Parts: sequence; structure tokens; C-alpha cells
Amino acid sequence: MATNTWLSVLTATPLFAVGLTLAAYLAGSRLFQRLKRPAWLPAILIASLLLAGALALIGLPYATYQQDATWLTVLLGPATVALGMPLYQQLPRVVELWRPLTICLPVAATLAAFYALAIAWLLGSSDTILASIAAKSVTAPIAIGITEQLGGTTALLLGALLVTGVITIPCVSLAARLLHIDDERLIGFALGLNGHAIGTVRAFEISPTAGAFASLGMSLTGIFTALLLPLAWRLIGMGG
Amino acid sequence: MPALGGFLWLISYWLIGEVVIHFTALPISSGVIGMLLLCATLAVRGRVPSSIAAAAQPLIGLLAMLIMPGVVGVFFIAGELAGQWTAILIALVVGTLLSVLTTLWLLKRLIGQPSGH
Repeated sequence: MATNTWLSVLTATPLFAVGLTLAAYLAGSRLFQRLKRPAWLPAILIASLLLAGALALIGLPYATYQQDATWLTVLLGPATVALGMPLYQQLPRVVELWRPLTICLPVAATLAAFYALAIAWLLGSSDTILASIAAKSVTAPIAIGITEQLGGTTALLLGALLVTGVITIPCVSLAARLLHIDDERLIGFALGLNGHAIGTVRAFEISPTAGAFASLGMSLTGIFTALLLPLAWRLIGMGG
Repeated sequence: MPALGGFLWLISYWLIGEVVIHFTALPISSGVIGMLLLCATLAVRGRVPSSIAAAAQPLIGLLAMLIMPGVVGVFFIAGELAGQWTAILIALVVGTLLSVLTTLWLLKRLIGQPSGH
């Protein structure tokens, strides 16, 4: 089979998987700009659809691709550490708002995980599914670490992250209208806390202040959830 | 190459995180430990060294691409989860709406009144 020969020649090194990922990422970003940056269709979703389509088309098994793409994904480690820099830059704002934040953040970040878990559990979802969606409001690099601790599936987690991020945007507009809130700081914080990076990007479109509060909400939710969720999981005896 | 020095810092902090987890059995990922260590280091120094900024900034910009190989996986597990999707979607959508409402209500009570009234 000629196509199989081609495929085995190309996939002899991980560079094919790396190149394919770069190509899909660039094409996805370009298409996203062309579509006038729709909030309901993030660039990463377009790029992933293109990539999944390409894999299916050339018949490269996902397991092979995933293994070769480790050359890229290994960088997630240092990239997560790198988030310590923006976190440091937000410290003055944390100090300024420490009192409301110490009350609001633990409650809101806990509920962000709890509501979805409770509903999924009531609807009879398996332990693996619960472990995979628990970190749904946490920014991806941190959420992947949490999900590995809980014994969930990374692929399902990332799908849950996309859905949560996209749905957070209309939810925040609706809730702000219901509660008569027009303070950009609060709207930004809610976007980042619930909708992680996707919500934060949206908040920066509203205003720089909203964006700054969104990054704050995103970082603090990530840290709080990373420190406490795996511990809570162990205490209630999930995941072994 | 200042970025290379910064990159070495990031990798070292991640590796320190691995060692800490190994010896304490803390249920946290090494990335989060490294992130908190980096933040603490910067707070002690009172500024961001240019080498760390040179390495951290582009890596953060690439995060979306770095998670793509994982995101693609969701299309390949779609079959395994057949029949579970409705429950998952309801949990995510309703859960997020409730969570957003609670967050905004709490913030309104705690941080301040809407500015336009």
C-alpha cells in the first residue's frame, strides 16, 4: 500500500506529529481571525477539529500521534511553572482585595466544581467521568495535573474545559443582567473564575480592568482547586 | 541567550516540584508547586529578571498549542462515552450557570455596589 509506506516514512520521527500540530494551530488561528473571533468557537476548538480531521484523513492512529506529540506536550510542565510570573504581577491586587477574596474565592471555586459534580452524580455518571470534569473551571495546564491526580481522563477534561469556557460567557451576561451588576471588576472576576482562559480572553475584550480581574480569578481558582480538590477527593474516598 | 537561562529556571522549578511530590506524597501536580515557587522567588526579589520573562512569556503564549494534542483526544473517546454525553453536558451547562450566579451574587455582596446606580 503506497499510502501506508508514505505514512510510515513520515511518522518514523516525532517531527511529523509536531509539524501537524503546528500546522493545525496556525491554520486554526488564521481561520479564527477570518471568522471575526467568534466567542462561541474558540481558536483552539477550530484547530483541534482540523487536527482531528487530518488524523482521520491520513489514518494516523490517535495513540501514535499522542505519543509523538509528547515532544510538544512535555513543555506543559515548564509552561505551568511560567504562570508564576503573571501571578506575581497580580499580587498587589490580591493584597488590596484580600478580605473579600478570602471569603468569596474558596466558596465560589468550590461551588464551581461542586454544582457540576453533584448534577453529574445525580444523573448517574461514573467515577471516571466525575474525576474528569471536576476541574472544569480550572485553566488547562493546572487542570491536567489535577485530573491526573484524581484519576480522570485528560481528553474528557479538555472537552469539559472547552464547553465550560464557552458557556461561561453567555451565563455571565445573563447573571449580570439578572443581578443588576455592571461593575467590570466583578464581571471580569466571574469570567475568569468560572471560564478560565476562554473567559479571561472575553474579559480583556470588555476592558483591561475586566481582563486583569479575570486573570486574577483564573489564577486563584487554579491554585485553590489544585491545592484542595485532590485532598478533598481522597477524603471522600473517590478514585482509590 | 537570556531566554535559555530563564527556561532552565522553569525546568528546575518543575523538577523541584517532582522531588517535593515524591517525598511528601502531596496530591498536587509538580507544575503547580513550581509555579508557586517561582511566584515566591519573584516576590522575594521584588522584580522579574529579564531571563525569566524572556522564557515565560512565549511559553504562556503557546499554552493553547501545547494542550491541543490532548484536546484532539476528546474526538477519539466520543464513542466510548456514548450515552453519557447528555449527562455530562447538562452537568457542565447547568453547573456553570449556577456557579456564575453564585459567584456574581457573592461578589456583589462583598466587593461593592454596581457603579452605575
